Formats: sequence, C-alpha cells, structure tokens
Amino acid sequence: MKELSLNILDIAGNSVKAGATRIIIALTETDETLSIVFEDNGCGMTKEQVESVTDPFFTTRTTRNVGLGIPFLKLAAEQTGGSFSIESTPEKDSPGNHGTKTTALFYKNNIDFTPLGDVVSTVTTLIMGSPATDWLFTHTYGEKEVRMDTAEIRGVLGDDVPLDSYEVIEWIRSSLEEEYDSFYK
Amino acid sequence: MTANSLAEKLKLEVVCCPCPEKEVSGVYIGDLLSWVMGRAKEGDAWLTIMSNINIVAVASLADTAAVILTEGVTVDEKITETAAAKGVNIFTSNKPSYETAVEISELI
Repeated sequence: MKELSLNILDIAGNSVKAGATRIIIALTETDETLSIVFEDNGCGMTKEQVESVTDPFFTTRTTRNVGLGIPFLKLAAEQTGGSFSIESTPEKDSPGNHGTKTTALFYKNNIDFTPLGDVVSTVTTLIMGSPATDWLFTHTYGEKEVRMDTAEIRGVLGDDVPLDSYEVIEWIRSSLEEEYDSFYK
Repeated sequence: MTANSLAEKLKLEVVCCPCPEKEVSGVYIGDLLSWVMGRAKEGDAWLTIMSNINIVAVASLADTAAVILTEGVTVDEKITETAAAKGVNIFTSNKPSYETAVEISELI
C-alpha cells in the first residue's frame, strides 16, 4: 500500500472482526528501524490459520478467495530487509487468555521503505468505526511518545458519552496532531 | 489477441499459461500491488517487476489476461505452481515495461 497507515487500518480491522475488546497498536522507532506491533484479545487463530494468513489466497470472507492485508504488510516489511511474524492463541484452546499478536519490523533507511503516512487519520478512523473497543495507540521514538488510550478517555468522560460523537473524535484528532507536532523535532 | 499468441508474437518466455485463450485487450503497468489491484482492468496484460507470490493474487482479483514480468525478472517455483492452479498466465521478458507495452500496443 502507498502508506503504512493504510496497512495499519487494515490489520487493526482484522482485530475488530475477531471480536477483540482491547486492541493495542504500538509503533516503536529508532533512527534505523520502525516496528509495528498489533495485540488484541480477539478470538485468535489456530496454528493452521496462522500459517495460512500470510498466503494471499486465504481469507475469512466468502465474497472472494483472496485476502491481502497481511500479505501486503509482510511484503512491505520484508522489502526493507525487515521481518514479519504472527503469534496467536485461539479462544477454544485458552478461553481465559486468547488473542493475536502481529509484529512487523521495517528498516527505515531502505529505499523501498513505505512512508508511514497519516497515522492520525488512521487512529481516529479506527476509534470512530469501533467506539466500544478499548484502543491503545502508542508511538515512541527515543524519549518522545504519542499516546492515545480510549479506556482512559472513557474513564474521564463516563459511559454516557459515546466516543464516536463529533466532539470527542475531533478532540482525539487534535490532541494527536498536537502531540505529533513536536514528535520528530 | 489471445494471451498465448501474444507471448508467441513478442517472443516472451512462458512461465505458465493455464488460460491460453484469455483475450488481451489492454495494458497496465505498475509495481505497487494495492494500487494495481484497484486499477488494472479485466483483460489487461499487467507489466511489473514484482515477483512476490502476491502478484498471483492481485492478477486473479483484477482478472488480468496475463502477468508479464519485465526487465528479466524471474519467479520461483512456488509462484509458478500457484499461478497454474489459480489460472493466472505468467510470461517474462528481458525488455523494460515501456518497450513491452509499445510492442503490445502495435498488436492489439
């Protein structure tokens, strides 16, 4: 994809579809690398399913026989000399502690590195699309950190204010933008 | 023009051609797979230098007539097998994408 933020949108969408109530998206940067880690408490996958998700002809959808979110992210990571992995625990094996962790490592200085793009829009879109989910988004670069925890926001606002109301979404967007203003400086 | 006669006329190397009678009606050139997926049209010969397994999925989704790997790019056996199973024609050429497209344009 043209921007990694679009991959993030897609992969986090998988967690929502897996019924996750808490989804963590953690971006960690150094001068050379960017790692993107997705962690959810969704229904998880069996060993066979994990093996097949990087296969572009695998999908849980029935409308077409190819799903390309994971294969594209894997390709984007590997074409920078980086790596990609998925670990998952299915609900039926471990009812109390299940979910999926997806990790992609990129070498930023490689010429084929895909730019991160508009992460703020991605995060606000995800929250808007699934406001009942607890989203934790972090992006760290050395000492710098951008952080958005919707469980925290919910704690402050109370359960009566939906997170997808216009005011809340706009506040989330502007507060992320503000944090990013000083992020790369 | 059918895919197999295009390969013959352009002297392309045939990696696999499970659907030789597919009609080539146009050309699309692109290497960003998500972009190609939404833009290549049915019946296009898709010219690319990407040789990842994902090209088979993209070609299958976009229903292109053939994938032509240009600039001497080759594919491994696993991709050939998958393409054959999924009905995706793959040819290769040593020429750049532009020259290949010009030659196709003279034929269709």
